[in-house]
Parts: sequence; C-alpha cells; structure tokens
Amino acid sequence: MIRHSLIALSLAAVAPLAAAKTVTMCVFDVIGANGDMYNMIKDYALEMKAHGVDFELQPYTDEGVAVGDFNSGQCDAVAATDIRTRPFNRFTGTISAVGALPTYGDLKTTLATLAQPKAAPLMEVNGYEVLGIVPAGAGYLFVNDRSIDTAGELAGKRMATLDYQKDAIHMVNHVKATVVPSDITNFAGKFNNGSVDTAYAPAFAYEALELYKGIGNKGGIVDYPLAQLTIQIIARDGVLDDGTAQKSREVAWGMYGQAMNLIERQEAAIPEDKWIRIPQEDIQGYQEMFRKNRLQLRDGTDGAGEVYHPKMLGLLSKIRCASNPGASECTAANRE
Amino acid sequence: MKTLRGLFCLLVVLILAGCSANPIYSTTGVVLANYSEDEATPYVMQMSDPQMACALGEGIDPLLYSFSRVTDAPDTTGSLLMLLAGNCAEYQAWEAELAYLRADYAGNVPAAKDAREKMKRLNALTAQRRYESFQRAMAAYEFDPGAEKLECPFLFNDQEELTFLLGLLTGMQAIVNDANSGAMAGVPRNIAPQAERAVQCLDNEKWGGLPNAIRALVWLLLPDTQPALAAEPWRVLGDSSRLGVKTGMRASMAVEAVAAETYGRPDVLADVIARFADSRKGFEVWEEFRLVDDIASQVVRFSSDKHWTAEYGYRTPNQHFGRMSPERNTENVETMSLDGLL
Repeated sequence: MIRHSLIALSLAAVAPLAAAKTVTMCVFDVIGANGDMYNMIKDYALEMKAHGVDFELQPYTDEGVAVGDFNSGQCDAVAATDIRTRPFNRFTGTISAVGALPTYGDLKTTLATLAQPKAAPLMEVNGYEVLGIVPAGAGYLFVNDRSIDTAGELAGKRMATLDYQKDAIHMVNHVKATVVPSDITNFAGKFNNGSVDTAYAPAFAYEALELYKGIGNKGGIVDYPLAQLTIQIIARDGVLDDGTAQKSREVAWGMYGQAMNLIERQEAAIPEDKWIRIPQEDIQGYQEMFRKNRLQLRDGTDGAGEVYHPKMLGLLSKIRCASNPGASECTAANRE
Repeated sequence: MKTLRGLFCLLVVLILAGCSANPIYSTTGVVLANYSEDEATPYVMQMSDPQMACALGEGIDPLLYSFSRVTDAPDTTGSLLMLLAGNCAEYQAWEAELAYLRADYAGNVPAAKDAREKMKRLNALTAQRRYESFQRAMAAYEFDPGAEKLECPFLFNDQEELTFLLGLLTGMQAIVNDANSGAMAGVPRNIAPQAERAVQCLDNEKWGGLPNAIRALVWLLLPDTQPALAAEPWRVLGDSSRLGVKTGMRASMAVEAVAAETYGRPDVLADVIARFADSRKGFEVWEEFRLVDDIASQVVRFSSDKHWTAEYGYRTPNQHFGRMSPERNTENVETMSLDGLL
C-alpha cells in the first residue's frame, strides 16, 4: 500500500501544479528555524507542494506558545511533540505511553500501521486531524549516580518532570521519587547543577544541553527507552480534504528513515561508557511496572487520570507481542 | 679526503632520512607560518573582496597546513584559512538555497527538491570546514572550551583576539550549517554553550558588541544559560548592532539577522536589514579588519535575498535593499498639471 502511494506521489510530483492551497503551520523546534526538526518539516512541506498544499511555516522555540497560537487560530496546523498534542487526539497521543514501544523496530511497525488509509478514521477526532507523525527519539533516564539503575533505587530521588506531562508525574510518584516540576528550558540546568538527581530526555539533549555535566563521573544513561517521543502534525478538521490528509500522513511516514538517521547519529554521539546496560531480568521487571502504570493511566485508577487511549494501548501491545511473543504480558489475563 | 667527504654527506643524508623530515621543509614551514601570521593575515584582513579571500582559503590551506607534517601545526593562520574556505562552500550553498526558494515560489517541485538537496550537501561541506576552523582556533590558543572552569587564553594582540573570537563564531555557524544539511556533518551541538562562556574572555565594546551578540543568540537557544540579571536577549542584540556600527565592524548585525530568522521574528529581521542599509551613510569601517565587515554585509544581504526570493521569486533589487517589499515610495510625490500642455 505504501509503495503504491509513493508511486502516486512521484507521479504527482511530475504533474504540473494546480493552484496550491495555503496552510499556515506553527512549527516547534528548540533551535527554531535552524533546527533539525524544522528542517525536516521543510522537506515535508516541499513534498506536500506536489499534492497541492503550500505550507507557510512559522518557527517556535517554545512548544507551549506554538500550541497556544494554534488554539487561538493564528495558524491552521501545528507541529509539536505528542506530549503537547495529546489533547487533540488521545489515540495518537498514546504512542508515547510509558514503556509501550521498547524498540525502534516496534515504533516503525506502529507508524507504518497508522499511515495506512484504513487508519484514517482514527486520525480525525473532535474537529482536529492528525496530518503526520515523525519519530523524535526515545526518552531515556539520565542519572547522576550509576547505582540508580532499577526502579527501586529511584525512591526518594528528585526527578525533573515536565509539569504538563500527567503520565510522567504519575510514573514518578509510582516509583516514590520526588517530582520537581520543570519545563523543557530548565530541566537540564537543574540536572547539571545537581538540584535534581535524575531527568529524562531524548539523546539529543546529551550534547546540546550538556547533560554530561550532570552525569559527571558517577552517572550515566539507562539504556532502556522510557517512551517513544514523536512529532505530530495536527490541523483543524477541513483544512485539508480527506484524500490530501491521507497523502500527508503517507508523506510524513516517508520521512521515517530521515528522522531515524538523525536520531541514530545523536545516540551514537553518546560515549559507550556513559550508557548503563541493564540485565535482562531487570528489563522484565521494568516492563511489568510500565504495563501496570499504563493500565492505571488507561483506567484512571490509583490516582491516575484517564490519559491513555485503550485502542492505542491494545495496538501497541499487539505489536510488542508480535516482535517478542515470549513476553509474559502476551499471556496475561489483563492484556492491554 | 674525497671519500671522507662523501661518507660525511651520506651520513648527513642518512640522519635526515632517519628523522624523516627534511630540514628545508620544516624551516620553510616555520617561515611560511610566521609570514602568514605577520604579513599575509593582516593583508587579507584588510581586503574588501570576500570572494577572493575565500578562494585564497581554499587554495592556500592545504599547502600551509600540510606543514603540520614536518613542524608544529600552523593553527592560528590555519583556522582563518579554513574559515575562509568555509565561506566559499557557504556562498555556493546560498545560491542553491535561493534556487530552491525560486523553484518553490514557481511551484516547480522537482527543481526545488533538487536545489534543496544540493543546498544540504553544500551546507554539510560548510559545516565540516567550519568545525575544523573552530577546532584549530581552540588548539591555537590551547583553550579547552569544555573545561568546567573558564580559563581564558593568553591573547597578545588584536589579531589573536579576533582570531579567537571568529573561531567561536565559526563554531556556532557550523551548528547552523549542520542543521541545514540534515545533520550530515555531525557537528557537536555543545559548541553553543561553550561559545557563550568563552566569548566572555573578550572585550565586548572593543569588538563591536560581537561577544555579547553571540551570548544573546545562545540565550535565545538555551534560555538556561542566561544569567539572572542579564538584559533581554533581543535588547542585547540591538545594542550590540549599534556598537558594531560605531566600531566599524557590523558582524553583530549579521548575528542579529540570523537570530531573527531562527526565532521567526520577521519584525526584527526587517528592522535589522533597514538599519544595516541606513548604516552605510557616513559609515567608517575598521580599516584593519575590513574583511569581517564585508563578510557580515554579505550575510545580511543574503537574509534579505532569502526573504525576497521566498516572497517574490527574485533576490533583492539593489535599490530596494533595506526594504522587504517592492512597493515604491512614489505615491505622495507632487506632480504638475499638464493641462496647459495638452
């Protein structure tokens, strides 16, 4: 299916362009118009021109402001992390559920599945439509002491937590760590000056935000993805017609390789001795703990809000069990 | 006797071969490095032709730096030559970017994609050269930009101070080029916070506000690096630009224009381009470092060209430089009645 769409896309690229529809988009990138993500969205916009859509991009270095401007009608679409775009579509906003996608292979299957035309009805909710999903890298746990390598060790530790990320707050409370409310601009400073013991971030932050300073000689990065962060493009319903919106999702899926190339480079830039490799039995413990949390965040039990969408959790569980059929969760009575 | 002399010659040749370094080569290396630093660099810094200067960087760098095989690496001149070579790659990248914007404006997607790909490759080349230039500048003054405690290097004269300052700026530019290449060059992103700290080793007033302009750019990028009592970054950038005009080296204005583009502030961009165009009246360039001002002029002009090409499909017409649209100021001009003539 994807291959067919790509052929259609290349044919469309050759065809003379009909009058393009102009769509304004607020784009979040911590480094603004000269950032990696912004540049990727530029490539997406160029591909979309072949489908008759002319995106006018506006850079934002604060994603709260980008989403705010989208809400107030200053742009027709917004590109930001799924932590911020979750309110527009809880289903796709659940891709970053804690521990739900432990490998990039599973993420690839997920994004390919969602780019199919069959998934289109799930992309339109409450007057908003998801126009595309691009990986932004897995979030990892950064610690200032290598002995903090199991969930039990996190008890009592201070952890920089995004104050608008309900699932993360629940998770931090669950492991009995202390939430230190932070935002994207100040969590690194708190980790680096020692006012928190741990923080979570994609590999990108290691170099750009100098997180190696907070790691010091004793700390490291736990080599297990806490969550898969994605950039999602959301538009108000009707900005693009159904056919073009589907094309857009296929174009965004086509960016997967480019995005992963970037992410793999960023992860490779972290020196080998900074990674904390955890043993298989600990991984199983982690997986079970994450699963319990996801169920709580799905059902709103144990003080958690109803954050995750049950259908997405079900899909992600199916994908995990297809790639790792031996996992205990695949035979559990309360499977997602 | 003849045999003895012959033996002596052989011995000398053997010793030299054993050291694998020809004394003429290493002497030439030292002479060339010193000549470059004492004579060629001041000469080039006064040039008003950035294109020729960049060609010099591309042409001379492999020759001069090859002497690092037989003597100490000539890092001071090497960093400047590589900086100039980086500019050459960037000028080509600029043309490719304008071609992309023109094709995009015309709705010619394949041509736009082709030009954009070309732009990315050239940006990767620019980033590589600039990263090399940054590393050489740091090595030249034995400065560790990653050191926990800031230890300023010993800089003995203006030329050394400027070489160090430009090295830091070039490192920052390398990050921008790398991002625009799709991260093909793999330039470490921690150069930005490192540069923010290192430029504090230089006198802001003396260097036309450039040190503070670099700091303000990083503050916008990483708000965490901004000291609590520091002024708002856009104000710092504006003040730095004014200092630059006063000093006769408008590099701060180029930094302000890049910041405005990066953070999506078209109002600031229009303003800085207008101020740059205005500054030409009665402007006195810092003669010794004229080249820096000329390179900065090109950066600002390119910012204007990008805007014009994206909006209208062509680069800034000369008489419109300083303005962001082709509207002419001819609406309110008084005219004479032609009634008597008709």
